[in-house]
Amino acid sequence: MAADTASSEISETQMRLFAGVLDAIIPPGEGGAHPGAGEIGLGEILLQKVPELTPVLVQGLAVLREELENRQVADFAALAEDEKHALLEQVGVREPGFLPGLLFHTYANYYQQPRVLEALGLEARPPYPRGYELEAGDLNLLDPVRKRPRLYRRC
Amino acid sequence: MPEETADVVIVGAGAAGAAFAWSLAETRMKIVCLEQGGWMNPAEYPSSRADWELRGFGDFGLSPNARGRPEDYPINDAESPIAISNFNAVGGSTILYAAHFPRFHPSDFRAHTLDGVGDDWPIQYETLEPYYDENARMMGVAGLAGDPAYPPKQVPLPPVPLGKLGETLGRGFNRLGWHWWPSDSAIATVEHAGRAPCVNLGPCLTGCAQGAKGSTDVTYWPEAVRRGVELRTHCRVREITVGENDMADGVIYYDAEGVERRQKAEVVVIACNGVGTPRLLLNSRTAHFPEGIANRSGLVGRNLMFHPYAMVQGVFDEALDGYKGPMGCCIMSQEFYETDPGRDFVRGYSFEITRGMGPVGAAISGMSSGSVPWGPDHHRSYADLFNRTTGMVVICEDLPEPQNRVSLDPELTDSNGIPAPKIHYRLSENSERMLEHGVARGREVLEAAGARETSAQAPLPFAGWHLMGTARMGSDPSRSVVNEWGRSHDVRNLFIIDGSIFVTAGAVNPTNTIQALALFIADQIKQRLDSLFD
Ligand SMILES: Cc1cc2nc3c(=O)[nH]c(=O)nc-3n(C[C@H](O)[C@H](O)[C@H](O)COP(=O)(O)OP(=O)(O)OC[C@H]3O[C@@H](n4cnc5c(N)ncnc54)[C@H](O)[C@@H]3O)c2cc1C
Ligand code: SF4
Repeated sequence: MAADTASSEISETQMRLFAGVLDAIIPPGEGGAHPGAGEIGLGEILLQKVPELTPVLVQGLAVLREELENRQVADFAALAEDEKHALLEQVGVREPGFLPGLLFHTYANYYQQPRVLEALGLEARPPYPRGYELEAGDLNLLDPVRKRPRLYRRC
Repeated sequence: MPEETADVVIVGAGAAGAAFAWSLAETRMKIVCLEQGGWMNPAEYPSSRADWELRGFGDFGLSPNARGRPEDYPINDAESPIAISNFNAVGGSTILYAAHFPRFHPSDFRAHTLDGVGDDWPIQYETLEPYYDENARMMGVAGLAGDPAYPPKQVPLPPVPLGKLGETLGRGFNRLGWHWWPSDSAIATVEHAGRAPCVNLGPCLTGCAQGAKGSTDVTYWPEAVRRGVELRTHCRVREITVGENDMADGVIYYDAEGVERRQKAEVVVIACNGVGTPRLLLNSRTAHFPEGIANRSGLVGRNLMFHPYAMVQGVFDEALDGYKGPMGCCIMSQEFYETDPGRDFVRGYSFEITRGMGPVGAAISGMSSGSVPWGPDHHRSYADLFNRTTGMVVICEDLPEPQNRVSLDPELTDSNGIPAPKIHYRLSENSERMLEHGVARGREVLEAAGARETSAQAPLPFAGWHLMGTARMGSDPSRSVVNEWGRSHDVRNLFIIDGSIFVTAGAVNPTNTIQALALFIADQIKQRLDSLFD
């Protein structure tokens, strides 16, 4: 299966680092209101759903590992948020393909996850078949428009 | 096995082909429609899956080039600031359309006489009026009578709900004293002709799983097929063939297996839309028609009109429920529709209020605009935008200009090796000024409605979804491709019935007018059967 092949190219250590990266992109919200992207296991989901991301991801994680070693940082997750941000930007400079695709797919998939939707106060379901209630609205608001003379040209 | 000669062969089963086939079917003639796409299965539309929003960037995307379904043909629009958006299936582009369904104004048929631009149509609003009414019944149009922007008209179904969002913007228009009205929408707001009512799913632009949106696969086609029309799917027409006396004698097409076939017919009707139709005509060359069939005027492909669009959005403090309800149908304004000599442009535009985006759409659009950054500020920025952003599109009238055109690409072909269309288009100064005016007025109305910030994009680069003018109608064969009732000046049994025959573009979505024209032409054919080719 493509997904298995994709995730098997990434070691467990890399997966932990990847989860940290995802949590840096969409961190847990204050007071735990919103989960972090790594925390909800988005890494596994992305590898499964977007296998074409794997090569550039592997490359980007390797560059990140190098940057961490250069700075003698053992644990990316333990850095302050602004330090994580600066480091990932640096990886983006060295590996230009890394951030754009990763950001797009992180945003796109994070906001499909049931925990995330519930945290937004939404029902965790697709729109069909139940749809939504929507108020008809007050058509009396049209009264001033009704009083206007003809707006089209006779010809 | 030789194929039977049809009385009528129609190419294209979209908005126009469907209405025409249904109307003509009452003659009991042998009618065959060839469509390169297949029937859609509403159960497979994105809105029933968690990734519903993402599929709007994939297999339900707007551009055939990116979508790349087997039934799509490529379109070289690389040099146009506005890219083509369409869909190829039974129902055509109505599978994706928003179903915003206004009529043209009477003045739209008289642009030259009234404003000295473009040309007058050879028909008038009154000519199409009964067909607008018929189309409203068949497509199931929802709306509200009494709009002062239009002559009195029939609207069979109750309007789409305003919701909090429509009310908020309606109040904004009222504060400025500007016109607004609930949009005419081809959406079954109550059960209609066997169609289930709209349940406010939102994503009408990736197909309506509920069957409430009036795409022609659920409106005209089931009725037309019941009346005896043969709809042959996965059949891509390569060329129209011409026999003696410059009369068309049928078409050559590739069937689902890619086998070349021929369909002979007494009458050939083209309904492939404003890009597909000129492409087919230009691809049909003979010794008598070296520049393409029906093209002695040299106007096939020329005068391509879109509606240049702008999008203006505002962010509000309160939640607006914008992810609920038909996304392109809420209210509209025609305050700036008619020409006003005090402005620095001629003709005008409509505002179509769009609703909001779903959670993924809001995230991706926030990411692209930079307003929803990644990192520590992410959740706060997202909460500021999601369900609090709404706005409008500005739909500008495009003027016909011969250099804006569809030609054949010298290299690009579809999967059957048929030359693909190439788009040559530039935005006119008039359109640029109109867009600028529309954006400024759009911001004003959003602010009057309470928006705390606004943003705008003009022209919208992906909004080439209204395709018009490339085989215009008229009474003078040197200045038009078809006559007053859709018949080619050059080939007397060839009819064109889609937006290609528009003379000018109006400033509203065109499908209601395209279908009213198709119904009108079908009636003309019925009335003239004895003298059709004279
Ligand atoms: C995203 C989107 C939103 C829109 N929103 C609105 C809206 O709100 N309101 C509105 O009025 N309009 C809207 N439109 C435009 C509307 O869909 C079109 O105006 C309308 O569908 C045009 O009708 P048509 O019959 O001319 O062409 P289409 O509906 O495009 O149908 C043409 C058909 O011809 C077939 N065809 C083409 N070439 C060949 C060939 N060589 N052989 C066989 N078959 C062929 C195609 O497969 C297609 O099915 C929208 C369009 C899009 C894409
Ligand atoms: S909002 Fe209504 S018309 Fe649009 S997809 Fe949903 S049910 Fe269909």
